[in-house]
Amino acid sequence: MSPAYLIARDEIRLMRRNRVAMVAFVLLLLLTLAAVVTSWSHRQSIADLRQRHQAAAEKAFDTQPNRHPHRVVHYGHFIFRPLGPLAAFDPGVDAFTGNSMFLEGHRQNTANFGDVRQSSLLIRFGQLTPAFVLQAVAPLLLIFLGYGAIARERERGTLRPLMVQGASRGQIVAGKFGALGLVALLAGLPAMLGFALIAGQPGAQGLPMLVIALGYAAYLALWAVLILLTSALVHRSRDALLALLALWAVLVVLLPRVAPDIASAAVPLGNRMQTDVAVARDLRTMGDSHNPDDPHFAQFKQSVLARYGVARVEDLPVNYKGLLGMEGERMTSALFDRYAAQSFDAQERQNALVHGVGLLSPAIALRAMSMAAAGTDFAGHRRFLEQAEAYRYDLVQRLNRLQADAVSYADDTAEDPEADRRKRVSAGYWQKMPDFTFRQPDGSSLAAAALPGLAVLIFWLALAAGALALVTRRLGAR
Amino acid sequence: MRIWMHEIRLLLRARLALTALILLGALSIASIVAGMAEISRQRAAIAAIAAPQTQDIAAIAAWVDKSKDAGSAAYYSFHPTWDAPSPLAFAAIGMRDVSPYILRVRALGLEAQIYDGDIFNPELALPGRFDFAFVLIFLTPLFVIALFHDLVSGEREAGRARMLLALPGANRTWARRATLRFALLFLTLALPFAVGAVLSGVVIGSVLAILGAAALYLLFWIMVTLLVGRLGWSSVTNAATLAACWLVLTLVLPTLAHVVINRSVPVDQGAEIVLAQREIVNHAWEIPREETMRRFYATHPHWANSPPLGPDFHYKWYLAFHQVGDESVADRVRAYRAGLERRDRAARALGWVLPSVGLQALLTRLADTDLQAQLAYQDRIRSFHRRLREFYYGYLFTDRPFGKDDFGRAPKFDAASLDRG
Repeated sequence: MSPAYLIARDEIRLMRRNRVAMVAFVLLLLLTLAAVVTSWSHRQSIADLRQRHQAAAEKAFDTQPNRHPHRVVHYGHFIFRPLGPLAAFDPGVDAFTGNSMFLEGHRQNTANFGDVRQSSLLIRFGQLTPAFVLQAVAPLLLIFLGYGAIARERERGTLRPLMVQGASRGQIVAGKFGALGLVALLAGLPAMLGFALIAGQPGAQGLPMLVIALGYAAYLALWAVLILLTSALVHRSRDALLALLALWAVLVVLLPRVAPDIASAAVPLGNRMQTDVAVARDLRTMGDSHNPDDPHFAQFKQSVLARYGVARVEDLPVNYKGLLGMEGERMTSALFDRYAAQSFDAQERQNALVHGVGLLSPAIALRAMSMAAAGTDFAGHRRFLEQAEAYRYDLVQRLNRLQADAVSYADDTAEDPEADRRKRVSAGYWQKMPDFTFRQPDGSSLAAAALPGLAVLIFWLALAAGALALVTRRLGAR
Repeated sequence: MRIWMHEIRLLLRARLALTALILLGALSIASIVAGMAEISRQRAAIAAIAAPQTQDIAAIAAWVDKSKDAGSAAYYSFHPTWDAPSPLAFAAIGMRDVSPYILRVRALGLEAQIYDGDIFNPELALPGRFDFAFVLIFLTPLFVIALFHDLVSGEREAGRARMLLALPGANRTWARRATLRFALLFLTLALPFAVGAVLSGVVIGSVLAILGAAALYLLFWIMVTLLVGRLGWSSVTNAATLAACWLVLTLVLPTLAHVVINRSVPVDQGAEIVLAQREIVNHAWEIPREETMRRFYATHPHWANSPPLGPDFHYKWYLAFHQVGDESVADRVRAYRAGLERRDRAARALGWVLPSVGLQALLTRLADTDLQAQLAYQDRIRSFHRRLREFYYGYLFTDRPFGKDDFGRAPKFDAASLDRG
């Protein structure tokens, strides 16, 4: 039996005799299990609820009576953001963004009814998820179990006898690392059980799960190394504990909170009112559809008449009002896209700043990596918003096209008592409109998005391991 | 007095204590600065409403003036509302980073507008803000632990405890040391906060209330450390036990309670209100217009003398069915709100048991940044929206022309929050 193995076994035996440590360990296991179960059922119920709402909204849309197509442009459509299976592990920003959106013509609405505005103040204390437990709580347990691993031996003067008995410095540290690594592995196990549950879900993707597992393994290994490093560097075990607690508080609690404040101060983000007013202002300079003499719309009319080779809109084979609607929607949507892109860019820059701080705090890097792989980060929300806008534009333009083709210009401008009936098109059209389906990105692109965070973690791990190797060489020297 | 000075010297000579105090001071100053910067950004955004709003309305007025149609004015004019931060908001940002503090509404159905949010970066909101409340609630206990965990055990381990106990007035030594540590911690927190509060113009009552609460919170954690210290364990066991207590009291129990509360108080999802309201509003196009008007006049009899609808489209019918749509979901709206308030009450009740939660609830209440403040803002929007509707109805139901000058007569949102805090 190698000395490293014996030292690891001895260390584990010592941990098991430490009753406080055992209680803490069992509590952590229970907490992780509770997190797995509640997070799992929470995701399940949210996914069901959104699916139910989505089905109700689709039914309401499809069963509309005969209507004028432009009425349906204003009736609009509701869509709900579905939640991927990995959200049961790390729901990311899901609770902080709205998850339902009303889509209508001429307007771009916000995603509403996020959990953060429907819950008590407790939501700001953090959410009990497997990701949270592994990110914040598990390192603390490792600290409690490992702060004294080397400092204790030195304090009690057992380090030198150990070396005299033939254990090399490397073997001692390797043994201690083995013991702490085993604890880390056990601590991560319940969360991995949750993974097994998730893997059985439809739409579960293997590659992101693998990246997440690697990332958390690297993170916990990093903590084990940092703990041994501190324990080897500091002379008294109490100092090792305090230093590690301070390190944990800074990396896991403080920096993740400070970084967003720096980012929001450094990169200003326009608010909705500014965007709305700017869109309206730009629209007026591009062309005023209310003004019959407006140059843009006059030119548009001429080009339409020329294309069909007629002299008056009344002679067009299609309904001019529908074409006008399409042109107006094209203009507003281009502006929506432009301002949304600006806002998204500003938010990306803010997040890039936070991820920059992640170079200092592996906890930030891990969180970013975990959300990216689970598809629950800002990029995931942006995907939803962009697909929603694309769907909105397509739906509205289909309805405008329908107005152009299926409602005659004469009927559309008529005002006799029967005109209302003639303007309406058959209810059958509504079922033909495509439904919104959120396209989840494939596993490899989710995994790729998580790679920068994983790289930061591995870089940290390599750095810390190198430092530990250096310190190990001088272990026990006076 | 001399013995106090001596104790101070003794304490500050310990590297750990001095570093801890300097660090806590730096953190609380930073949190005050960050909070004040955020609030001044919010104030600037509110101050910046007026100019673009005036331009926007002027452009609408220019072309509505041609038709003098009050309905077009009502349909196209968005009216700003805002929720000015209280002077104390810098200390506890609360929900102000995820809830809108500027919302423009028009005289159409309010239920389709009032739940709208503003643009915010969810990844920045996720970890929570770095404000004074955070430093006080989450970080300060760690500093208490650093300064108190070896109060007695440290002397024992240094072999001085027996000697100290043998001296006359031994108990007073511990009391003096504890008081000194408490006072230094309290001053480190209180001074930056007091400066920030004075600069922000917080009334003295609120300042005293928060300082009192902060002192009590410190005392709670000191009591915990002293209790653990009485068990006679080593300094290192004390530190580990106390850190575990901190973890459970500030992170684990609140997150567990969050799950329990949201489970046991299901809230009828707000989305259902909006879905139902939309059906009723759009259904108006399928039924005789007179039916809508009858329902509208039943609840608004003072407009019932308005001339009957002609064959042409009339905006008074359009606005009437929007109002009827709002009124027909009033019960759901009440139930939704009651559910939110029940969740909030449950969390507050928990605050009596968990000091971290209780202090957060107290700070956000005093700072007017909690759910109650959000709901109060919604109430102000609702009452403003009522005035807005009545204003346009005054033109529509009497067929009065709506000229350029009438835009200036529209009701202005009254923030009604200036006298708070």
